[in-house]
Amino acid sequence: MIEVAGLSKRFGKTQAVAGLSFRVEPGTITGFLGPNGAGKSTTLRAVLGLVHPDAGGATVLGVPYRELDRPLHRVGAVLEASEVHPGRSGRNHLRVLAAAAGIPRSRVEEVLALVELSAPAKRRVKGYSLGMRQRLGLAAALLGDPEVLVLDEPANGLDPAGIRWLRDLLRSLAAEGRTILVSSHVLSEVAQTVDRVVIIHRGTLIQQASIAEVLAGAQGATRVRSPEAHRLHDLLAAQGAKVTEVDEGTLVADLPPARIGELAAANAIVLHELTVERATLEEVFLELTAGKTTE
Amino acid sequence: MRALIGSELLKIRTTRGWWGYLIVIVLLTGIAVAGDIGSTKNAARGTLEFQLGLVETAGIAALLAIILGITITATEFRHGTITPTFLAAPHRERVIGAKATASAIVALLFTVIAFAVVAAVALTWLSLVDAEIHFGDGAVATKAAQALLVVVLWALLGVAVGSLVHNQVVALVGTLVWVFLGEALLSGFFGLIGIDGAAGYLPFQALDAADGTGGNQLLSYGPAVAVSLGWVALLSAAGTERTRRRDIT
Repeated sequence: MIEVAGLSKRFGKTQAVAGLSFRVEPGTITGFLGPNGAGKSTTLRAVLGLVHPDAGGATVLGVPYRELDRPLHRVGAVLEASEVHPGRSGRNHLRVLAAAAGIPRSRVEEVLALVELSAPAKRRVKGYSLGMRQRLGLAAALLGDPEVLVLDEPANGLDPAGIRWLRDLLRSLAAEGRTILVSSHVLSEVAQTVDRVVIIHRGTLIQQASIAEVLAGAQGATRVRSPEAHRLHDLLAAQGAKVTEVDEGTLVADLPPARIGELAAANAIVLHELTVERATLEEVFLELTAGKTTE
Repeated sequence: MRALIGSELLKIRTTRGWWGYLIVIVLLTGIAVAGDIGSTKNAARGTLEFQLGLVETAGIAALLAIILGITITATEFRHGTITPTFLAAPHRERVIGAKATASAIVALLFTVIAFAVVAAVALTWLSLVDAEIHFGDGAVATKAAQALLVVVLWALLGVAVGSLVHNQVVALVGTLVWVFLGEALLSGFFGLIGIDGAAGYLPFQALDAADGTGGNQLLSYGPAVAVSLGWVALLSAAGTERTRRRDIT
């Protein structure tokens, strides 16, 4: 559906993307994640034929974007919310794009209603909030009723209600069988929406997997509370476990709870609490991209 | 391609600048024609030569045409709208072609409006002072046709400059400085090194001669049109290549 192969792009001294390869499967919502400056936007712009790669390339629906016939009917994209002429009204912005793509004017009204911008559509974009501009960008992406959607940080500038609205919209669009690639530097924005994630950092691929796989691969930990915490600490450490005392009498160790329970029983240590600490996606994400940042 | 041209025309019509252009053309042309008639003795007002000069004032549209051409191209880079534009039409040379066509159409419209102002002011004033009117003369029609062509060439040159220099302010200021100062300095320099004739091949000297007035008489009409077309073709090719290669970030 979307295939990036060996993509490299350098801007001056900055290697924005370095030999990046990944696939976006048809009919899925894929989160494209990485910290700011990881090369997400450059990658998406290369996919859309806006940036010329130094090496490698990308295809959408099997061909480079430039070779798509009637591209707005195949692929919709939301890049930066600011890419609108401030003196033009929201409606006219969409009419201009519709005219270029041979899309009837009635469709402009449809997408305006879909993103709930019908009322302010006649106002000049200059007076729009960032959230309204994001929704205008979404409306533009949906003009051609495309089967593939590419969204770069669409949640930027949206308030919590707006983020929920976006999440619901993306879900309903995906339920219609569309393929969606959505980038974000904040995993929690998309974690509940996406099926798969592609995580990049400094222009290279860190991980490409389903959400479940990412979580499964995460290092779990066990939280244990005991009146004899110090003795337990030494005992667990002797087993080679990484142990931290998070509170008076409370330890977190990277051993499974069964193992800790057995050790405590064998040494007659009373336990008051024994719980599995599941790493959150956010922690996994931070862990995956940690230690690789020099900024 | 027709859809792209329609989109470009819609872009022009849907910003406030559009009204600015129309108002400036009507005002500038009106003032120029009125000033011309007002400062001329009654005896001369009824001559064909004088009235040809009145038709020429419509050439003011040329300056607005080049500003429009530069603006409709460079403004897309300024506001980032070039991104959605190229997403809709990834073959960038077609976008430039559509902009050139749209700006040519609007340039024709500008000139026709300027003619209408010239006609309205001149016919009213001249008939009030009982001057003989020559607007039906073939020479007037020829002069008008030459003005139409030259205004279109200015518009095309504007799109070429805008596609070559994507910074709108630099493109506009640079072009105006070049038109009003750069070529005069270069002409002087050519004179110093003894190649006066070369000045006629400068783009706006050539365009000046291509409006049928002969400009500084360095080139006659035919060659002046040919040199102007050459500049339009050269700069358009360079601008298209530059725009095709550019990373839109």
